[in-house]
Amino acid sequence: MQYGENVRLALQGLTDHKFRSFLTMLGIIFGVASVITMLSIGEGAKREAIAKYQDLGVNNIIIREKTLSDEELEEVRAKFSQGLSIQDAQVISEIVPGVERIASQAEKNTDVKYNDKSIKSTIVGITPDFQSMMNYKVQKGYFINDKHYNERLKVCVLGAGVAAGFFKGEDPIGKLVKIDDQWLEVVGVLESKSLFTETVGELAARDLNTDVFVPLSLFLNRFTRENVLSSEIQQITVQLKNSDKLVEASKIINEILRRHHFNNDDYSIVIPYELLKQEEKERQIYNFLLGAIAAISLLVGGIGIMNIMLATVMERTREIGIRRSVGARKIDIMSQFVTESVVISITGGIIGVLTGIVLSLIVTLFTDINTFIKPYSVFLAFSFSVIVGVSFGYLPAKNAANLKPVDSIRYE
Amino acid sequence: MLIEIKDLKKNYLLGDVEIPVIHGINLNIEKNEYVAIMGPSGSGKSTLMNILGCLDTVSSGNYYFNEMDVSTLDDDALSIMRNKEIGFIFQNFNLLPRLNAIQNVELPLVYAGTPGAERKEKALRALNRVGLSDRVNHKPAELSGGQRQRVAIARALVTNPGILLADEPTGALDSKTGVEIMRLFEELHTEGNTIILITHEQEIANYAHRNIYLKDGMIHSDKINSDKTIIF
Repeated sequence: MQYGENVRLALQGLTDHKFRSFLTMLGIIFGVASVITMLSIGEGAKREAIAKYQDLGVNNIIIREKTLSDEELEEVRAKFSQGLSIQDAQVISEIVPGVERIASQAEKNTDVKYNDKSIKSTIVGITPDFQSMMNYKVQKGYFINDKHYNERLKVCVLGAGVAAGFFKGEDPIGKLVKIDDQWLEVVGVLESKSLFTETVGELAARDLNTDVFVPLSLFLNRFTRENVLSSEIQQITVQLKNSDKLVEASKIINEILRRHHFNNDDYSIVIPYELLKQEEKERQIYNFLLGAIAAISLLVGGIGIMNIMLATVMERTREIGIRRSVGARKIDIMSQFVTESVVISITGGIIGVLTGIVLSLIVTLFTDINTFIKPYSVFLAFSFSVIVGVSFGYLPAKNAANLKPVDSIRYE
Repeated sequence: MLIEIKDLKKNYLLGDVEIPVIHGINLNIEKNEYVAIMGPSGSGKSTLMNILGCLDTVSSGNYYFNEMDVSTLDDDALSIMRNKEIGFIFQNFNLLPRLNAIQNVELPLVYAGTPGAERKEKALRALNRVGLSDRVNHKPAELSGGQRQRVAIARALVTNPGILLADEPTGALDSKTGVEIMRLFEELHTEGNTIILITHEQEIANYAHRNIYLKDGMIHSDKINSDKTIIF
């Protein structure tokens, strides 16, 4: 018996009893669709997390000044800590092994003005390394370079939001904006960054697109600190050569800073990659649960197929007898019925995959949950449905094959 | 010798009790014979037919088909025997209702592994032989009883089997159609086919050349039919 013949027979069986076949498939359809949807939600969350941490740099350790109240700040200063300083950065780069680059950054919240417009912004003083360490992309012009930094030039790079607020249809490059009492020339505009919507450690959620970047040398020289007690800089970003020594390096950094800050706890260390791993671990449990629910629905779908197939075999005893009488072997009958259940489950699987894709799109469109369908998950769900078809079709098919020809041919 | 049966016995298990149905039959059938096996219900003729048709196995004794001992064959080998050597024709036709005439006729060839084009050609030839070349694509429900039986005969002929085994082939037909079917059998016999007819009607048995009468699981009489019915 040719295999193609079985498939043809099974497909004919499907179309002969459309409604019944559909009901039989329903379990598989729901099962596969839920597997696809749940995996796509899991994958969407994962990608979102990766994108978020990628912005912070996967090889980076971020040392951030702690947000302290005025009283706390006074207390810390009284205990001799000067807060984060360029000197801290210097020491770290000299002592910690495996450091690729290090960037200090000073920040200040103030207004930026252009003509009669004013935008609340965070002025960030940075070193030229900053761009490559943080994956910032320039949309127009260029980023702050060594020349700007070394010569303390009065230049700035605008976040996409600030540029859009000031220059509608106007080329921002070369224009002068005013920060505090300084006039700065715009040399570049950044590409829009995704909103940093979640607080990671001391990195508070904020809109990165309202940042304005200036050379750190200029910043320290020309801008007054937010508060007389403010630290010299607000953040040190340490980039390591690779990600496997992040934890050890952060411990060393912590010890250095402990000493330099006279045991004052006025800074915090964030390892984006470690946070990503941790988040991943938490999500794994969640994904496992979702997967288990989906698997159960597939199982129920399989039992549905088995139920119908058992009834079908009973109903078609006579057909089996006729086939046997003209020379069908047990294996022929067996493969006919297994093929039938596989065809049902594959058809259900295909419909389920499509339903799952549509459901994922609906989830993305109507909620703020991101979804992403990996080819792997389609493959997984689909092969599951084939396995279900084979395993739950096996028993009914075996029953069919074991019917005695002499009895089944006379079955009324 | 095409068929040789030696001391054949068949028992059925009814609960714990073995009920003997055939008590020891010896029977020889030559190639191109036209035999009718008769007997009242319960005489064991259906059981004998099942054994001859390799649908059932013997309890003891031997069944030789073309000098091969069929009684020792396993299920797969019996299936192949049915496929290649036996052409069944049943009282209730036993066609598959979802398949059309040609697909029904092709069925044995499907299991024989014959390629599609050759299958179609052979099936068409068989349908043509039984005079149904204009009903090829009709489903059984769209055919008359006589036509259905012709499809069944075409299906039995299509593999060119060693014997045609007909179990009450006219039982579900009116007498006029029945005569037509019997005429077809006569022709097939003339063309060289070996035919075994199972019937409880003397009238039908009269068409055959040899009549075997079974009673209580034994051969009661076995004689050449001297006043054979001739169909004009």
